[in-house]
Amino acid sequence: MGFFNLSLLAGAALAALPIVLHLIMRQQPRHLEFPALRFVRRRRDANRRRLRLRHLILLALRVAAICLLAAALARPFIMVSAGAWGGQEAPVAAALVFDTNLRMEYRHENRSRLEAASETALWLLPQLPADSEVAVVDTGPGAAIFQIDLGAAKQRVERLQAEAVSRPLVEVLPDALELLRKSELSRKEVYLFTDLTQAAWPREEVARLQRELAATEGVGVYVIDVGVAEPRNFSLGQLRQSDQRISVHGRLRLSAELSNIGPGGERGVEAYLLDSAGTPQMVGRQTLQAAENSQLPSEFNIPAPDVGSHQGYVQIVGEDPLAADDRRFFTFEVQPAWRVLVAAPSPHYDRAFALTEALAPTAARETGQARFACEVTTLEDLPQRELREFAAVCLLDPAPLSDFSWQQLRDYAYAGGGVALFLGPHADTQGFNQPAAGEVLPGKLLRQARYPDGNLQLAPDDYQHPLLRAFAPLASSVPWSASPVVRYWQLGDLAADAGAVIAYSNTDAAVIERTIGAGRAITFTTPVSQLPAERAWNYLLSGGDSWPFFVLLNETMLYLVGSADVQLNYQPGQAAVIPLDDTERIASYLLMTPRGDPLRQNAGLEGDALVVTATDWHGNYRLRAGGETAGLDRGFSVNLPEAELRLDRLEDDALDDIFGENEYRLARDTDEIDREISVGRAGRELYPWLMALLAVVLGAEQVVANRFYAGRGEKSNP
Amino acid sequence: MSTAERYLKPEVVRQIKRLDLRAQFIVKGFLQGLHASPFHGFSVEFSEHRKYTPGDNPQDIDWFVYAKTDKHYVKKFEAETNITGYLVMDLSRSMAYTYRQELTKFDYAICLAAALCYLMVHQQDPVGLITFDDRIRDSLAPRSKRAQLGNVLSVLSKLSPSGQTEIAKSVSQVAAMLRHRSLVMLFSDLLAEPEPIIQSLRQLRHRGHDVILFHILDEAEVAFPFDGMVELEDPESHETLQVDAAGFRSDYVAELNSFRDTYRKECFQSGIDYVALDTSMQFDKALVEYLANRRMRC
Repeated sequence: MGFFNLSLLAGAALAALPIVLHLIMRQQPRHLEFPALRFVRRRRDANRRRLRLRHLILLALRVAAICLLAAALARPFIMVSAGAWGGQEAPVAAALVFDTNLRMEYRHENRSRLEAASETALWLLPQLPADSEVAVVDTGPGAAIFQIDLGAAKQRVERLQAEAVSRPLVEVLPDALELLRKSELSRKEVYLFTDLTQAAWPREEVARLQRELAATEGVGVYVIDVGVAEPRNFSLGQLRQSDQRISVHGRLRLSAELSNIGPGGERGVEAYLLDSAGTPQMVGRQTLQAAENSQLPSEFNIPAPDVGSHQGYVQIVGEDPLAADDRRFFTFEVQPAWRVLVAAPSPHYDRAFALTEALAPTAARETGQARFACEVTTLEDLPQRELREFAAVCLLDPAPLSDFSWQQLRDYAYAGGGVALFLGPHADTQGFNQPAAGEVLPGKLLRQARYPDGNLQLAPDDYQHPLLRAFAPLASSVPWSASPVVRYWQLGDLAADAGAVIAYSNTDAAVIERTIGAGRAITFTTPVSQLPAERAWNYLLSGGDSWPFFVLLNETMLYLVGSADVQLNYQPGQAAVIPLDDTERIASYLLMTPRGDPLRQNAGLEGDALVVTATDWHGNYRLRAGGETAGLDRGFSVNLPEAELRLDRLEDDALDDIFGENEYRLARDTDEIDREISVGRAGRELYPWLMALLAVVLGAEQVVANRFYAGRGEKSNP
Repeated sequence: MSTAERYLKPEVVRQIKRLDLRAQFIVKGFLQGLHASPFHGFSVEFSEHRKYTPGDNPQDIDWFVYAKTDKHYVKKFEAETNITGYLVMDLSRSMAYTYRQELTKFDYAICLAAALCYLMVHQQDPVGLITFDDRIRDSLAPRSKRAQLGNVLSVLSKLSPSGQTEIAKSVSQVAAMLRHRSLVMLFSDLLAEPEPIIQSLRQLRHRGHDVILFHILDEAEVAFPFDGMVELEDPESHETLQVDAAGFRSDYVAELNSFRDTYRKECFQSGIDYVALDTSMQFDKALVEYLANRRMRC
C-alpha cells in the first residue's frame, strides 16, 4: 500500500482535536443542591460506565472521520498485482508473449487476431519506461530471449506470424517467467496477447504455470484479450481415411465433420485429388445445411487412381473468418493387388475356393479390380515356395506340418509377413502341439468342441481391433447369429504374445492374433475350406446372412498385408517416416513443402525409411528423387490438430483459477491497457472507498450523537 | 377543571400568606369539589338519625324507622368515638428544598397538615402536633377545641427545616410517646435508609395506631429535569456527585419508582396508608387519600 500525497496524511493529526476536546474542554458541571442524592448514587456507577462507553464511541467515530478524511486526501492505493513498486517510470523487464497459433488468424474487423495483438504491442512498446528490457516470445518453437533494445523488439513484433507448430500459451509462459527471473531489474511484467480460447489455456498445463508463477515473485501479469467474444466460423474436423494404402481399383473413404460456431447456414464441402501435375481435380462435392453451433458429417468415396502416391484435400467452399481450419489434406498410396498364397489340403482348389472368392471375387478378378491376387497351392508344396514373394500366406485346414514348414512360416512372419491359419478337421493335438508349431500357433490344441444345436456364433465384444474396425459403425446390428459354428478347436493357455480378437458366444477364443517379430499370425479355430459333402464345422460362409464373415476375411487379409501400417498423415512438428522399398534407396531427395519452396534433403540411409522433420506447416508434402520415371515419388500430409483451432472462449473465472484473483490485469483495448497498467503499476486508488466509508462514519456519528443528546433540549433550566 | 380544583393547586395556595386561611381555603375548596355524600363518613359527632339524602349508602337506611314513619333515615353514626390525630412533621434540612423556588416540601407539608388539622378540629377530633429532625423537637398535645387550630398553625408557621434526618429514631420515639390509639399522619420526604424507617412504622402500627404516611418530594426530585453535566450536593451530608443529567434521567426515575414501590408494598403489608406526593400535585389528592383511609378505619 502507498500514498500519492503522503504529506496530507499528517492531517490525521487533527484526530487529536476531538480527543483534546474530550479530555480538556470538558463541560464544567453546574452545582445544584439535591436532597434525593441517594437515588443518584445507586445507579451512578452503571450509568457512568454506559455514558463513558457512549462518549468513547462518539469520540472514536469523530476521530475515525478525521482520520478517514486525511487518509482519503492522501490518496492511498494498494498494489493489486505484485512487482510494481518503484514508481511508474522505473525500467521494467517485460516479456511480451504472443499466441501465434494459426487460430490467431481469425479475422475480425478486417484484421487477424495476431495483427490486432501486434498493433497493441507496437502501441505498448513506446509506453514502457526507458531502459526497459523487452523479450518478445511467441508460441512457436524457439527459446525466449531479451531483445537488444526496444527497436529490435518492435521489429520482432512486426515480423510475428501465425505458425502451424505452436505450443499452448500456458506452456510458453513459464519460459518467459524464467527469462524474467534472470533480469536484474526489480520490476517485472508479462504481457500476454491471447484470444482467450480454451485451446490456448489447457487445464493440464496450468499446474506447471502456477508453480513457475509461485517461484517468480513480483511479476505483474497483464492479459491482453484480442479475441472475439462471439466468434463465427465453419471448420472441418479431423479427416479420417479408410486406409492409408489401397490396392489398385480399390476405393478410399474419407470422412470429416463440418462444425460451425455461431449462426448456421448452407455450406459446400468439396474433395480434390491432385493429378500428376499437381493440379487439383474435384472428386466429390456435398452441400450441407448446418444449424447454429452444430456438427454435420461429410463423407467421400474416391476410386483409386493409378499405382503410386496420391494427395488431395477436402475443403469448405467459401470464406469465413478463420481459413486455417477450412481445408484438410490427405495422402494415400495405391499399389497393385496384394499377392496372397493360399495352401490347402487336396483337393486344394476346391477347398480354397470359398476363401479366394471372398478375397478376390471372380467378377472383380476378371475386371482387374480385385484387391488380392490369390495363388492356391497344396500344403505339401509349401516348403518349395518362396514366401517372401507374397504379402500374406493362408493355411486352410492344415494337417500336421513338418518342422521345416513351421520354421519357414515363423521366419516369414518374423520378417514382417502375415500368416492366416484356419484350423479344421485335418488338425490333431499330437501333430500341432509340437514345439515347432508352437512358434506360430497361439496355443496348444486341446480338443474339438461341438455345438450341434447351432447356438454358437462369433460374438465380438468390442470393435477396436483393426479386424473389426469396419463393423464399428453398425456393431449392434451385425447378424453374427445367422452364421452358427458347430465345431471348433478349443485351445489351451494362449502364448504371452497372443490374444483373442474375437470370441465365440461361449467366450472361447475364435480368432487369435499372435505377434511374431515384425509380422503377425491370425488363427481361426474353425475352417473355411470344407467341401459340401463333408460334415460342416460352421456356416460362416454358407449361412443365411454370411456377409459379416465375408467382410471379416477381407479385413483380416488387409490387416495381414499391412495396408494400415504405413502412416502418411501427420501433425505439424511431427517427424514423418516414409518407409522405402529396396528399390527406392536414395542418397538425397527434394522435399516440396506446402509453401512451394523445394528443400533438398539428405536421406541419411540408416534404415529403410526416410525421416522428414521439416513438417512445420500444414498441407501436402512431396518427396521426389531420381527422376520422374523410375525415381522416388512419395508424399505425406500434415494437418492441424482439430482441438488447437477450436474458438470456444474461456469461462469468465478461468483466469482467476489460473493466476489467482487480483493477481493479473485483464484489458481489451489500449485505453483499458493504459488504465490497467496504471493500476497495476501504481496500485488501485482507495479514495472512493475511503470517502464512502467516511460518509458511513459521519452518518453513524450523527445517529449516535442524536441518540446521545436526545431530549437534552426538552428540559430547560429554571 | 372546576374552580375548586384550580384553587387547590399549591402555587395558588402559596399566595395566601396566612396559614389559617390556607387551611380553610384548602378544606373548603376540597369540600366544594366533592360530592356531598362522602362528607358524613369521617364524622363521629352525629349520633341521631338523619334524613336520607341521595348518595347515601342504602345499607345505612334504618328500616325500623321507615316502618314506623314511612320516611327514610340513616343511622350510621351513633357508635363512633373520637380519634386523636397527630401531625408528625419532618424538620430535616432536605424538606426545605425547592427546585422552582416556589413551594418547599416543608411548605407543602404544612399546608397539608393545616388543612387536615382544620378538618379534624371541625369534626371535634383532637389534633396534636409533633415535629422532629434527628429527634423530636416540638410537640403539641392534642386538643379538639377550636383554639387548637390556631395553636397548631402558630407552631407550624414558626418551624424551619434545618436539621439532620433521623426519621426511624424519631418515629420510634413518637410510638413510645403515644399512649392511646391515635391517627398518626407523618409528613416526610423519607430520604434515609428505608429499612429502619419501615421498622419504626411497623412499630407504630403494632401499637395500634393508624398511620398515614405522606411521602412528599419536590417535583424536581420526581422528574429529574436537569440538563448537561451537573454536580449534585446533598444539603444534609454535603456529599456531591457529578452526573450527566440527560443520560441519567431514566435511571433516576427508575430508581425513585423502585423506592416508592418498596414503601408502597411494605406499607400495604403493614396496614399503613402510603400517599406519594410531590410539590406539583394538588392538595385534594392527599385529602382524598386521608378521607378514604378514614372511612376504611370506621
